[in-house]
Amino acid sequence: MSIIRPFRATDLFAFNNINLDVWTETYGISFYLSYLARWPDLCCVQQAPNGPLMGYVIGKAEGTSTEFHGHVTALTVAPEFRRLGLARSMMSFLERVSNDVYGGFFVDLYVRCRNGVAIGMYEGLGYSVYRRVREYYGSLGLGPGGKDDEDAFDMRKPLSRDPFRRSVRPNGRDMIVSAHDVS
Amino acid sequence: MSAAALDRQIRPIYDALDTGSNKSAILACNKLLKKYPKSDLLKSLKALALVRSQKVEESLVLCDEVLASKPTDDSTLTAMMHVLRHLGRHSDMVVMFEDAFKRQPGNEELGVQTFFANVRTGNWKTAQLHATKLKKQFGDDRYVYWGIMCAILQANDHITPPNMCDLLYKLAHRLASSVWSATEFNPDRLHLYLSILRKLHLYDDARTVLDSEQGKSICSRSLACDELRREIWKEKGWLKEEGKLAEERIVHKQDRNWLEFLSVLDATFSSLTSSNEAPDASAREECTQEAARVRILFTKVAEEDGRKDRSGLLALLELEKRARIHDVSSDPSRLVDLLQQYHETFGDKAASYEDLKPYLDMDGEDLTRWISYLDGLPHSSSSLADLQRSINVYKLSRYNLQPSQYTVELEVPRALHLKQEYLEALSLGKDLPKTELQPADDLAILAAQVYVGLYSLSGDKDHLQHAIVFLEYASKKSPQSYLIHLHLIRIYRLLGAPQPALEHYRLLNVKQVQNDTLSHYILNRASDFSLAASGDLTYASECLESSQIYLSNTQEVKKGNTQTNPRRANVRQTADFIVRAFNGEKYSQIPDFIAFEDRLDNSLERDLVKMEHVRMRITHETINSDLIDMELIELKFIFERMHHDNRDFALLPNYQPLGQPSFVTQTTLMRKQPGFGWLSVFLKIYIRALQQASDMDNTVEEKLLIGDRPKPSTGPDNNVPLNDRVSIRRPEELAELTSDELTFYNYATDLADWLAPYHDHTRPPPSVVLAEATKQAELKTGHPLKGLEVPVDSGNGHAKKAEDAPLVKEAPASLVTFFTHMQSRFKALLESNSPSPELLHVASITQEALILLNIETLRFKNQSVIKVHKLGPLAQSFKAIRASAVGILGEMSKDLIALGEGEGTSESRKAFVEQCKDLQGDSNITHDYVLDVAKKVTDARKKVLEGFGKGIARVCTNHA
Ligand SMILES: CC(C)(COP(=O)(O)OP(=O)(O)OC[C@H]1O[C@@H](n2cnc3c(N)ncnc32)[C@H](O)[C@@H]1OP(=O)(O)O)[C@@H](O)C(=O)NCCC(=O)NCCS
Repeated sequence: MSIIRPFRATDLFAFNNINLDVWTETYGISFYLSYLARWPDLCCVQQAPNGPLMGYVIGKAEGTSTEFHGHVTALTVAPEFRRLGLARSMMSFLERVSNDVYGGFFVDLYVRCRNGVAIGMYEGLGYSVYRRVREYYGSLGLGPGGKDDEDAFDMRKPLSRDPFRRSVRPNGRDMIVSAHDVS
Repeated sequence: MSAAALDRQIRPIYDALDTGSNKSAILACNKLLKKYPKSDLLKSLKALALVRSQKVEESLVLCDEVLASKPTDDSTLTAMMHVLRHLGRHSDMVVMFEDAFKRQPGNEELGVQTFFANVRTGNWKTAQLHATKLKKQFGDDRYVYWGIMCAILQANDHITPPNMCDLLYKLAHRLASSVWSATEFNPDRLHLYLSILRKLHLYDDARTVLDSEQGKSICSRSLACDELRREIWKEKGWLKEEGKLAEERIVHKQDRNWLEFLSVLDATFSSLTSSNEAPDASAREECTQEAARVRILFTKVAEEDGRKDRSGLLALLELEKRARIHDVSSDPSRLVDLLQQYHETFGDKAASYEDLKPYLDMDGEDLTRWISYLDGLPHSSSSLADLQRSINVYKLSRYNLQPSQYTVELEVPRALHLKQEYLEALSLGKDLPKTELQPADDLAILAAQVYVGLYSLSGDKDHLQHAIVFLEYASKKSPQSYLIHLHLIRIYRLLGAPQPALEHYRLLNVKQVQNDTLSHYILNRASDFSLAASGDLTYASECLESSQIYLSNTQEVKKGNTQTNPRRANVRQTADFIVRAFNGEKYSQIPDFIAFEDRLDNSLERDLVKMEHVRMRITHETINSDLIDMELIELKFIFERMHHDNRDFALLPNYQPLGQPSFVTQTTLMRKQPGFGWLSVFLKIYIRALQQASDMDNTVEEKLLIGDRPKPSTGPDNNVPLNDRVSIRRPEELAELTSDELTFYNYATDLADWLAPYHDHTRPPPSVVLAEATKQAELKTGHPLKGLEVPVDSGNGHAKKAEDAPLVKEAPASLVTFFTHMQSRFKALLESNSPSPELLHVASITQEALILLNIETLRFKNQSVIKVHKLGPLAQSFKAIRASAVGILGEMSKDLIALGEGEGTSESRKAFVEQCKDLQGDSNITHDYVLDVAKKVTDARKKVLEGFGKGIARVCTNHA
């Protein structure tokens, strides 16, 4: 139960309850505006009936030919609104737009290898690890997390234009690349 | 020279600029300029490197040379674009592109850039005309849409008069009707078209488009269009139709967007709400039947969804709430039944309490039943679900706690009980990684709010110390909990311990735009805690750091000509994205971007922090004409702004019972929240004082400023000249001041009124001031000030004659009594053992009054001014005031230092520990742990009391 509506620039004044979170990065203003100026239809928020924002997703479309795909840049839900199915519904929104509007072949995202909850969720939603990217993130600064702290999994899920699932592979966790190899 | 050769030589300059090596870029430019002294490109690149290394004056010279030659080549124009943006000369940029386009009218790129330059300056009218030109010349439909967007933006601009608005929308409509086609599939074009139809109330036209296959298809994939469609339907009162559509989506598409449920609800009651007259019996009957039907529908949804989705059950609650409001409820026990059902189904979700809150305002039978239901529920923390339920029950019970049950005697055991529950529940999260929140966190927060409520009830600050001890513990267990940090920040400040408050604020890792919404947690009234006067600039730097966000996004006029080190680059980031949105035709975003920019540029918090910073700055910097002029210019700009309050207060939940002051209110220093009124008063105080102290009158200022001026304000008194506006007093503004600030305001007003005639008489004439400015600038930069004609003064060009000096009047008595009044305020607080923030507040205001006196009398420090104008007696009278002020402040200083020494002793720590005894007693919160917290609190209090006291002593020496 929530209101799903477009992400608006002025939501940046109201997203603290969501962004004051270890897994959620607060970027510069130009970051958000550059997404909204280009892919507003891949960004949305969920709002509670009495006003507060509950979560949001920010995405983009990129790549060429069979690599053309939707990308989840940020997905996050405020702690008090977790486990209500919000992330699930925002992911299905983003997949729908990537599929119907952009005609992408798959949707992908990066997630810290240490973020067990999110990885579990994505797997539950049909995503699988395509490769592991070394030192993709800055350290969380929370003590020993080892490589899992800074490494990312690149996870993917094929869309209807990829019926033969060419965009994914079974042994992705063993495919290791460095951050320079991805953009 | 071959173009290729020059190109090859210029490459390294670009590389240097790209990597930020401005120095080597300048050197390389100089070298090449020897060979090609006429090259505009080289000049503009050098200007760019100069402006980036803060050499504004030199850059201006080159910049004007290039502009005068009216360049048309791409590279020069691009370089100049950056230079002009850095200098804030957006209007010059428009002219530059216009000229270039005029010379090459077939160059579409130049045409587009000219349009964008107008967009950057918010020059919508010109941009609109230009778009029409582009369409004519190059034929692309998107130029028509650009023009439409510009017409709308012009209409929405607050400086556009209402009758003009209407015309502009009609123009937009005409343009839109001419290009809109049934094969259009771009959602942003539809969005733009619909927003015009809506504004002009052409609802039927909107409906025709939206009901077509084209409209339906676009809305199905564009949230923005669908949102607009919904608003149109609602505005027009097509509630029934919308309700039917929504019902279909809920039933057939399993759509659980809450907006659909609201549409069904709106439709259900539309027979009662759609007309202004009192509904008749048949309308009531219709509504009752509809409500019954919809209840069945929602019940079915709720049953089908079970625990998967809350919409069905919540919609039933909303249905019952509205039915009660309209008096068509058929079952008096239903509300509580539903609440119980909701708690049973979703009580283990953290959101459940906030979900139910809107339905908890009840009394009589309902309330009794509900409370007894809650009281009968078991509390347990044997599983995560049980714990969450238990937390929700605590919150719900507390919400409806009756005044008779809300007493110190009853609250103390409640707090201890929550503490016990919390400690037990910790075992549930003991294996969680550090990155996760503890499931028991909310119990700690509840306990802390109980303690703060106790402080509010009793005035006993021991309760705050309890809250701190407990929350510090909880924070260690759950370092990621921002709520615990925020609670601690508020409570530490209330206890007069700013240092740990700042530490917790830093742990929040506030970044970027969050500075605007969150810095108030730490910078609100920060000058009361600032130790700048004693050399500790922590708070002053915090102000500057948190304000960076505005500088990188703003367009600001600077006193560039006289200032060698102007503020940072003033690139309007947002404008770039508006341009991008035009370029990509994302029209739906443009009004939002503009609204965003407006709210950020004119943020209340921005200028509250600015004001606090000025107040800190003057306690430790030498007050000279540079400081006075710079601050005056800036404060005057701020005074013209229409502010927006972006501060995030909603972030803090409130768990105090209905009818009691909220947690935010209880933790607001001196229970007064500075807002628009507070800012306005302090701006008036300082603008008046600085204006009097400054030699720079309006004519001088006009000559010395570079860059575009901000748009004129449209405030209620914008036609009243600024000089008069700063003297207006408004009751609603005064209401935001503490009693001490009000006293200070009166003092400042009396002081300014008294000294005004002498300032006006002795201020040097503009010609003298400008000549001096030129001299100084040349000394500093080697360049004369550009474009500056020194005006000839009327009269004989000399300062006014000494004979005309206004009669010296005695100082108003209120100036002296101000200080004695503050002295007795301070003593009373000291005796009553009040919490230190208020004591510091009184001391800080008194100190500020002394500094203000010095700003106001700086001009008369100059003995020759006194002599020439025979103002000896005047000087004598403010000397007397100053002496009395210094005496009183000296005593305050001693008292604060003594108080601080008392804080830092082992006795005070022992007393703290003793008071918090009831929190100790198990292996978690040990004696040693409490002692650590005691040390932290008392050390922090000692530091601020001593530091502030020493600062006052320094201020007295500097201003004696
Ligand atoms: C990851 C996150 C977005 C999930 O949001 P959410 O709205 O709580 O997720 P949903 O309720 O839609 O959950 C969908 C499914 O994911 C799984 N899941 C989500 N959170 C889980 C948790 N804490 N433990 C176990 N499973 C979990 C469940 O299978 C769940 O389905 P279920 O509730 O029917 O069992 C949220 O925890 C979050 O914002 N985390 C911080 C930001 C972040 O990590 N973002 C991802 C970075 S790429």
